[in-house]
This record gives sequence, C-alpha cells and structure tokens, in this order.
Amino acid sequence: MLVKNNLTLIVTLLLSVLSIFAALSFGAAPTKLVDVYNSVSGQWFSSGSDSFLDRIIWQLRLPRTLLAFLAGSGLALAGLILQTVTRNPLADPYLFGISSGASFGVVCFITFTGISAGFSMSLAAFVGSTLTMILLVLIAGRKGSGQVETMLLAGVALSFLFSAFTSLLLYFSDPQAITAILFWTLGSFARAQWHSLWLPALIILSCIAVLMSFRRQLNAMLLGDESAATLGIPVQRFRLLMLMLSSLITAVLVALCGGIGFVGLMIPHIVRFFVSQGTLTGLAMTALVGGTFMVWVDVISRIVMSNQELPIGVSTSAIGSVFFLSLLCFRKREYQ
Amino acid sequence: MQTPIPLLTVDKVSWAVADVSILKDISLCIKQGRFIGLLGPNGAGKSSLLRCIYRFYKPSSGQVTLAEKDIWRLSADDFAKQVAVVLQETPSQFNLSLYDVVSLGLTPHKRLFSGTTDDDKQLIHYAIKQVGLTEHTTQAFDSLSGGEKQRALIARAIVQKPRLLIMDEPTSHLDVKYQIQLMELAKSLGVTVLASFHDLNLAASVCDELLVINEGQIVASGSPHQVITEKMLSDVFGVCAQVSVHPQSVEQPIPHVTYFYGYQTEAPHASEK
Repeated sequence: MLVKNNLTLIVTLLLSVLSIFAALSFGAAPTKLVDVYNSVSGQWFSSGSDSFLDRIIWQLRLPRTLLAFLAGSGLALAGLILQTVTRNPLADPYLFGISSGASFGVVCFITFTGISAGFSMSLAAFVGSTLTMILLVLIAGRKGSGQVETMLLAGVALSFLFSAFTSLLLYFSDPQAITAILFWTLGSFARAQWHSLWLPALIILSCIAVLMSFRRQLNAMLLGDESAATLGIPVQRFRLLMLMLSSLITAVLVALCGGIGFVGLMIPHIVRFFVSQGTLTGLAMTALVGGTFMVWVDVISRIVMSNQELPIGVSTSAIGSVFFLSLLCFRKREYQ
Repeated sequence: MQTPIPLLTVDKVSWAVADVSILKDISLCIKQGRFIGLLGPNGAGKSSLLRCIYRFYKPSSGQVTLAEKDIWRLSADDFAKQVAVVLQETPSQFNLSLYDVVSLGLTPHKRLFSGTTDDDKQLIHYAIKQVGLTEHTTQAFDSLSGGEKQRALIARAIVQKPRLLIMDEPTSHLDVKYQIQLMELAKSLGVTVLASFHDLNLAASVCDELLVINEGQIVASGSPHQVITEKMLSDVFGVCAQVSVHPQSVEQPIPHVTYFYGYQTEAPHASEK
C-alpha cells in the first residue's frame, strides 16, 4: 500500500511540474515547449535575454501560472480542512461567507473611492474577508457543544448578510463600478506579478506544515467530537484554529484572484475517491491536484476564445462540475 | 490478602445540567485489572457517569481520581495516554482506511511533527491482528460491518496502550455472535475495563463486578451473582424475571436472567378502570 501511495504521489508531483511547464506554452502568442524550456532555463541559470518571448514567459505567464497553482492548492487545502473539522462533505471556504465578505469589501472600496484596479482592491477584499472571519470566530467561539452546527449556520447567515449589503451598494452604484465588481467576482489570474506571489506561497506552505504536524488531530476530528476529546484533543479550540487557518488562505487568495468557487469543495472529494485522506499522501495529493487543476483551467480560459479571456470563475465551475458529475457516475457504475 | 491500590476512584460526584441533577453523589472504586460492568435503565445516567470519568464532563461537585491523581489536574494528553474510550460515534463520508483509524490511537503519545516509527507501525499491525481484521487493513473504515467497526475501535484503543478502557454500550447494534466476541476480546486484553451494558446476561457472564445505576445513583454493586437478583430487576428495570444459574458457571455462579412477558396485555384493562 505504501509503495503504491508513494508512486501515486511521485506521479502526481511530476504531472504538476509538467503541467506548470506545459501551461507556459499556451496563450495568445503560441510558443513551442522547447522555447519555453530555453527561456525558463535561460532566466534561471543566467541573467537571461530580454527578448519579447522571454518577457512574455517570464514576466506574464510564469507568475500567472504559479498564482493559479497556488490558488488551486490553497483553496483545495482550505476545503479539506473545513470539511474535516466540520465533518461536513459540503463545507468549502465560500460556505462560510468569506468570499461574500471579500466582495463586500471590494464593492465598498469601489463605491466610495471610485478606484477599480490595483493592489488597494486586493487589500479591500482582504479586509472584508477578515472581518467575516472574525465575526464567525466570535460567534462560533462562544459555543461549547453544537459548535459545528453554529459554525455552518452562522457562516451561511453571514454570507447572505454580506451579499445583501453588496447588492444594496451595487443598486446605487454607477454601471462602470458594477462592471468592475462583476469582473472581480468572476476571478482572474491576469493581475499576477512576481511580487504578489510570496504572500500566498508563504501562507500555503506554512499551512501545509501546520496540517502535517496536526494530521493526527485532524483525522481524529473525523471520529466525532467526543472521540477526539478522549484522544486528548481540545476539540473546540482546535476547530477554531483550523477555521482561522483556512479563512486566512481563502482571504489572501480571494483578494488576489477574486472569487474562484468550487475548487475547495471538489478537489478534496476527487482525491478522496482514490487515496485515504488520513495519510500524508492524501494531504500532498490534495494540494498538488488542486494546483494542477487550476493551472489547466487557466490555460483553457486563456485559449478557448481568441483575443479574449474567459473569467476563471466561469471555467472552474463549468469544467469542475462536469468533471465531478462524470466521476460520480463512473463511481456508481463501479459499485453496481 | 492485601487490597491493591484502586486505579480509579469516583468520590461523591454530582453532575447537573441546567439545574436538573443527573448524577447524585456517586462514589465508586475500580481496582486494577478488573472488568466492571455498568448497568441501568435508559436515562439512568450511565453515559453521564462514564463521561465524568473519561473527562468529557466536569462534575458539578466531587472528584474523579486516576491512580490517586485528580483527572482534571492531568493534561488532556496525559489522561488520554492512560484511558482509552470506545464510543458509538463512527466516522462516515470520509474514506479513512481501517489502518488510519487504528493509528489514531497514537495521537496522545505523539508530539507535533513526530512521525510514525517502525515500532508504531508494528504496534498498529499487532493491534489489527489481535482483533482479527488483518485482511481488512487497507479497506475503507466505512465499508466495514458494525461488528468490524467496533473491533477496529478496540484496536485503536490497544494502540493507545491505556491502563483503563472505557466502553459506552459497545455491543448495541451488534448481533449476538459479535457481542460475545467483542466482550471476550476486551477481556483478553488484560487491562482494566469499565463498560456499560444493556444485555444483563452478557454483562453477568463477562464482568468481575457489576454496578447498577438508577436515577443518578448507584443502587447496587458487587459480583454478578450478588447484583443480579429478581428484586433488583423488578425495582430498577421494572421487569418480572427469573434468575437462574448459567450452566457454564465454573468457580462462581453466573446468574442467568429469564424474562417474563405480557406486561401490555393487562394495561388496557387497568386504564379502563
């Protein structure tokens, strides 16, 4: 079993690296893989040339692809955490109102300042989602028993509350602001730059480290609150910590890439079809599969229409749902 | 003969929730190596008492001590290293394998970041073997039968290496073969066991001592032969029964309960009066 698991992990890792690499050759200016290789290795090992192609690959495509990968793995991990600590297979980062909080932040920002681009918009999104997260933790933190239910219901309620505020503000906004907000909610990796990558990378990597060190506790949560408590786990505190962790990942990613739904919900389930989530392999697979999935979704939204990009949120949900549904059907047949 | 130091003492424990008192002034003492059965009708306070003992509920008053230490002065980890609990809760929806579930027994013994050593793995496989589930090791826990799940949870408890094993109605939902198998397995582990039961005959045959709880108070305790009497069954459980001696009794007489039926047939007449 162990050999098989390790093999799966190595294959997935290779596929992820190859995917990132291959994704660099897709785009408005089609590039050969050889050129991609030359360009990347040129940049990596020497100061690199400054040709047009190099600039496209090094300054535009690579940061974008890496951000896509980070977003995919981050959201998948956030989903895995939330599904585990709430024992709810439908939990995902957006169920807890984090994305509507971010939207609210952005809408407030655009409505009141009129600015609809740049880093300050990300900051507004981050403030909005952090606000939601704090509210959620305050509400769920007080509850002793029935914390899971409180958390889920409060998350959904907060989500609706912020959506209502957002709609209200939009109702009084001018059409230009509405367009800007719509584009932001649909998500995009087009804003990716090298200097905006370190924060999500740092957070996701530390999150993986935390998850690895707490993997036994996470699995124990699946047994139920009482069983987890008998294994020496401070159940309520642990759950709040994990909620904060996943909210932080989501907040940073939502701020950078806008609303990308469905990955957090779906990827953990897909991985769970094949590997036990209790293992380190399952954890690593979730991050890698999420990242790879997002890289390819980004490629598709770049090439499907000439001279235009499809919003990432649209392609994620469309591709993701079809893929997930077919997987469900496929699994069913296997059991019959 | 010198009496051994009690492993667990419950001293005048009361527990109330929202001013309704569930446990009233309970005292008991469990000696090392004994197999203790906790009996009582539904709602008598069996689970509440066990929860006070395994540190899930903090008593309103009184004290629970494990090897002469107040359990609330121990850290959660230290307590979990000494007391393993098998509950009815089981994971679902998530595909943990049997191996993953059993390996959770390591949780209190492991620091953060510390890996699973070869010794740990051996212990896990040994525990799985001891409960006879070796061929299911990599199978999803969800796909196991009810009896296999309970045995897997016992394997998890074995990995936890406890001094005291607490089981809350471990045999409900199981068919009779698995009930017997499970309790004999628990007995064979050689640790002190405290388990609550619904099946009085099963409790009488496997336990060294029985405790009967009713309306939050201990109403009887002692050997099965002393505890299971026709009077107790009528007072506590409200049933008419005949207690005989089980044919397999060796040293001590094992009581065997035969219930009488037909309680409802009288009832309509009674209400008409």
